[in-house]
Amino acid sequence: MIDLLSIAVFIALFIFFVFLGFWGARWRKGDLTKLKEWGLAGGRLGTFLGWFLLGADIYTAYTFIAVPSSLFAKGAIYFFAAPYVIITYAFAMWAMPRFWKIANKHGYITMADFVKGVFNSRLLAVSIALVGIVAELPYIALQIVGMQAVLIALLSSFGAVNTIIEFSLIISFVILAAFTWTSGLRGATLAGVLKDALILVSVVAVVVAVITLGGFHNAFVNASATNIHYFTLPSSLYNAYWSLFVFSALALYLYPHVVNGTLAQKSAKSVRRTASLLPLYSIGLGLLAMFGFVVYGVPAALKYVNSFPAAVQGTQVVPGLILTLLPSWLSGAALLGIFIGGLVPAAIMAIAAANLFTRNIAKEIKPNITPKGETKIAQVFAVVFKFLALGFVFLIPATYAIQLQLFGGILILQVLPSFIFGMITKNLNRRALFLGLVAGVASGVYIMEAANSYATWTTTLVGTGLGPVFIGMIALAINIAVVLVGTGIANAMNITNALPKNADVY
Amino acid sequence: MVEAIDVSIAVLLLVPLIALLAIPTYNMVNPTLGGVAFFYWYQILWMPLGALLYFIAALLWEKRDMRVEKAARAASRSKSGARRKRR
Repeated sequence: MIDLLSIAVFIALFIFFVFLGFWGARWRKGDLTKLKEWGLAGGRLGTFLGWFLLGADIYTAYTFIAVPSSLFAKGAIYFFAAPYVIITYAFAMWAMPRFWKIANKHGYITMADFVKGVFNSRLLAVSIALVGIVAELPYIALQIVGMQAVLIALLSSFGAVNTIIEFSLIISFVILAAFTWTSGLRGATLAGVLKDALILVSVVAVVVAVITLGGFHNAFVNASATNIHYFTLPSSLYNAYWSLFVFSALALYLYPHVVNGTLAQKSAKSVRRTASLLPLYSIGLGLLAMFGFVVYGVPAALKYVNSFPAAVQGTQVVPGLILTLLPSWLSGAALLGIFIGGLVPAAIMAIAAANLFTRNIAKEIKPNITPKGETKIAQVFAVVFKFLALGFVFLIPATYAIQLQLFGGILILQVLPSFIFGMITKNLNRRALFLGLVAGVASGVYIMEAANSYATWTTTLVGTGLGPVFIGMIALAINIAVVLVGTGIANAMNITNALPKNADVY
Repeated sequence: MVEAIDVSIAVLLLVPLIALLAIPTYNMVNPTLGGVAFFYWYQILWMPLGALLYFIAALLWEKRDMRVEKAARAASRSKSGARRKRR
């Protein structure tokens, strides 16, 4: 239940968390006026802390709020998130140690640095950086939605629903903007450890409570009575399911904040080990995702969820189960875990976007910025990007917040040819890569708009001859086709990337 | 040259993907586990299983990297040795 005790626990732990964030800034002290220190934790994290940092990067409000919410609203199709957070690590184990070594050798700290080195193109590098930044914005927006959902749950009994919803959004945003400024990536890592401990305890507590109540059986009976496919996929959605999980898996490690988390580790070996163990973390995601139908087995929680307008209903599934099943002190702690689960990743994403902006856009325009000036620019733009992200919050009803992450995925997938193919071959034409990027982004946005009939975004699937499929797959296919055809034409015309002979790009 | 260790790593990394792509093999309610449909618990089961296979792959990969490094060092040593002799 929600009462003053849970709110007191929430606030007390929040103060502790802020302390950790500030202390983190001093922990294993480095010179925080240097961009690499503020934005990459100095590049000294081993397997254990790297695991927590990437865990904080990857298991976010997406896991705690968005996936259960969409599963509640649309059924089993959104369990695609489970296979996604398994197979993405196989891809990472292959690609990221390779990238770590190249980056370490040449002193790269972003993927745009790498692309510039391999393909000898400033235009391509700047475009990659821009796409990376824009792709982070909806993902940050999703975190803000998650923080808002927690505050709505905490405050819901204190006023009119719509006032609470708006008030919660403003408070979430202010706290986020204030947090990022001082501590950089290192503070975020420590805070990530606290968040994970709180979430782990509360997920286990909710699952135990549901089992003792016989909730899974009741959930099955009650949810089967609805017209949503909760327990199996209709065969018409097979192609939607695999295209969502395969292309989400390819997208994850392209995000600037995940690239950052990778480079913050101390060796290629620890990058690979960390990735190999991250599927363990996913078990929490799997259990939380099921809360989307488990709520049908707990009448008090279902009643709570149904007391909200449909646009935010789904986001209250997990808070609702926590509030109805856990003692009030524990529900305060659990809600704080989810709140930080949005706050820390949002800060990490904003830092990554700001890193990219400073390194690959600001410095291209004005090359003689001092290291101190670099950090200042990054700090300012981390805040600016959060404001831009706020715009995305209004684009999609909170219940469908997962579409924010999927839209980010459609965009970020378009850097795959330059970044991932670039690790295998330098023989792709730089202009073809640029045109492919533009074609991929443009077609992705256009198909997204068309699939949603040019209205509010509630889906990232588009109907094809093979049934609905993830738009990201189609946009990437268009992108790759342009790159290959363009490179073929360039080769036929003897146009090269003008790399110096014997240039050591890898 | 493709060695047994490369094949083992590839297999370990690909098995979870192939199992999860085979949607019709797990798209069913029964057998349930504690009231949870097969569709759900089976995919969750692949998380610890995936971590196990991937971790073994990571260890093999480290072994392979060490071998490659050793070979490279041996090759460069014999090369510089040859140069010295020529001088």
